[in-house]
Amino acid sequence: MLFYILRRLASAISVVIVTLIASFALFFLAPTDPAGVICGNRCTPERIEAINDSLGLDEPAITQIGLYMKGIVVGRTYTTAGGVVTECPAPCLGYSYTLGQPVTKMLADALPVTLSIVLGGAVVYFGVGVLTGTLAAKNRGSTMDKVAVGTSLLVNSVPYFVVALLVALYATVFPPAQYTPLLTNPWAWASGLLAAWMTLGLTNAASYTRYSRASMIETLGQDYIRTARSKGISERRVVYRHGVRAGLTPVVTILGLDVAFQLTNAIFTESIFGLPGLGLLSIRAFYQYDLPVLMGTVLLGSVVLVLMNLVVDIVYTFLDPRVRLG
Amino acid sequence: MEPLIDDPALTGKPLSSEPATPSKTSPNTAKGKSPTRIALSRLRRDKVAMVSLGVFLLFVFIAIFAPLLAKLEGQDPTTLNIDLIDRNGYPLIGITGDHWFGIEPRLGRDLFARWVYGARPSLIVAGLVTVITTIVGVTVGLIAGFAGGWVDRVLSWIIDFILSLPYLLFAIAVPAVLLTIFVGTAENADAQQVAQVRFFSLILVLSIFGWASLARLIRGEVLSLREREFVQAARVLGVPTHKVLFKELLPNLVGPIIVSASIALPTYVVTEAGLTFLGVGLVEPTPSWGLTISTAVTFYRAHPIFLWVPVIGITILVLALSLLGDAIRDAFDPRTRR
Repeated sequence: MLFYILRRLASAISVVIVTLIASFALFFLAPTDPAGVICGNRCTPERIEAINDSLGLDEPAITQIGLYMKGIVVGRTYTTAGGVVTECPAPCLGYSYTLGQPVTKMLADALPVTLSIVLGGAVVYFGVGVLTGTLAAKNRGSTMDKVAVGTSLLVNSVPYFVVALLVALYATVFPPAQYTPLLTNPWAWASGLLAAWMTLGLTNAASYTRYSRASMIETLGQDYIRTARSKGISERRVVYRHGVRAGLTPVVTILGLDVAFQLTNAIFTESIFGLPGLGLLSIRAFYQYDLPVLMGTVLLGSVVLVLMNLVVDIVYTFLDPRVRLG
Repeated sequence: MEPLIDDPALTGKPLSSEPATPSKTSPNTAKGKSPTRIALSRLRRDKVAMVSLGVFLLFVFIAIFAPLLAKLEGQDPTTLNIDLIDRNGYPLIGITGDHWFGIEPRLGRDLFARWVYGARPSLIVAGLVTVITTIVGVTVGLIAGFAGGWVDRVLSWIIDFILSLPYLLFAIAVPAVLLTIFVGTAENADAQQVAQVRFFSLILVLSIFGWASLARLIRGEVLSLREREFVQAARVLGVPTHKVLFKELLPNLVGPIIVSASIALPTYVVTEAGLTFLGVGLVEPTPSWGLTISTAVTFYRAHPIFLWVPVIGITILVLALSLLGDAIRDAFDPRTRR
């Protein structure tokens, strides 16, 4: 077990390092002109040279990547042309070209927003999906089952950004979307995110209805469920105690992977509802050619994705003892 | 409708992978039917699938004959009808005989013409990306599964690597870099050139990230197929490797390939429109539904038709494609039937 975790950890780290090098090559070694972006239109060659010098952009490529990695691990110092020394503590991802803020701080500000959206949405779609899926499986073939399956098929086929957009524009029942930190004001936090949660939750609930329905139908057909019924246990207890427990294991695995996926794909929800998360940060960076920020979001995104995959794999082996580690 | 696959190598030869199926489904026909044939006939009986296919073909028709349809209306997608716009930028006319869907606020371009032309980038980007990812995915999957050894290990690592990248973030980042390479960050960059670079970088990014999941699927299938007797027999007979790959293995993979392509197509339509809507996909002057939607958001109260026409277009197209994809999957794998 320990060996398996270590091996998975090693491969996860290798993926992150290769992502780092590949995206670094893409962003910083391409013939881009960061100094021009920072300096603006009225800029002297001396000023550009000074900026290049202070950012280390005149160093050879290998040195630059080395400095960047060193910054992540132990931090680094920037010396501006005026001789001002700026300390950038680890994990240092550089400074935003346009805002001058440390990228690490910008990411740390944006991450809770994305986490709030995705986790809140996950609660909604997991709850709604599992409930309707279980009910549909219990009453298989009934009108309710057909309606649930039909609706989920339709909802799944409508483009998500269109649904989110229409909700944002026309569903005025929701309080206006905004982000307030949870610890500042929990009520404002929840009401500002309600529209995003409902949109993300109800559209994704469709797939969870299908997953949990299929899984529950399979589980309810097993011998031990028949045995439980023949012992005279009430139907409710059979379904919810014996059935749901076993039937939900595969659904929980999908949930883990989905949450990881959505953490890096919350861009649509964020930009449509105007919530300042990672996605919105990367879009703003795109418009301003703010490469350190783009690089930071890509890096954070891949770390989150790789870590979540790892966690799901490991948790799955605990949930289902039949899974053998290889 | 003609069957989609009419390759004699595929339909004439009884496939050794499914010896029991033909006799089970058609006990009276002496001639064996390939699984693909069976799936297609199953698909033809599916009403939802046939209606969805009809809707999809209608959109293809609209996209192909966009200039003709616009000419029929008597408008084109780029002419500015400034005379029909009031001082605040709102159109003076609604739906008229000259402008079937009305005109755009501010610029006054004809909405029907923009709508029919807007079907084009959606279908071209989604279609091209589906073709590219299918070809690359199948080829890499075949090679990785069949070659085994270090080739397989390297290719599998690349597949896993690509699947563990946050692709939407890259889809935003890569065009930014490509633009600086090919156009530069100058403010006065040529709009046509920028639009072109954005078009190709969108296709490039979606292709780079799209092939890996199919390659993984195909690799798994090949791993089990290559130990089968007919493959062993072909190798013993001295059939060259490329022929084993493409004449023996590939026909047996038609099912998963068609299913994966038909499910991929609507997701790429959505991705193109979504990224364009965010402002990181296609740009003006390309007429695109995603672009129209993002402009129309500002005017959604005063001029709802501006927003709703592209919204309805993309929703119906994606709905039809998704239902068709589901039906194709069910036809090829009856176990998933609803």
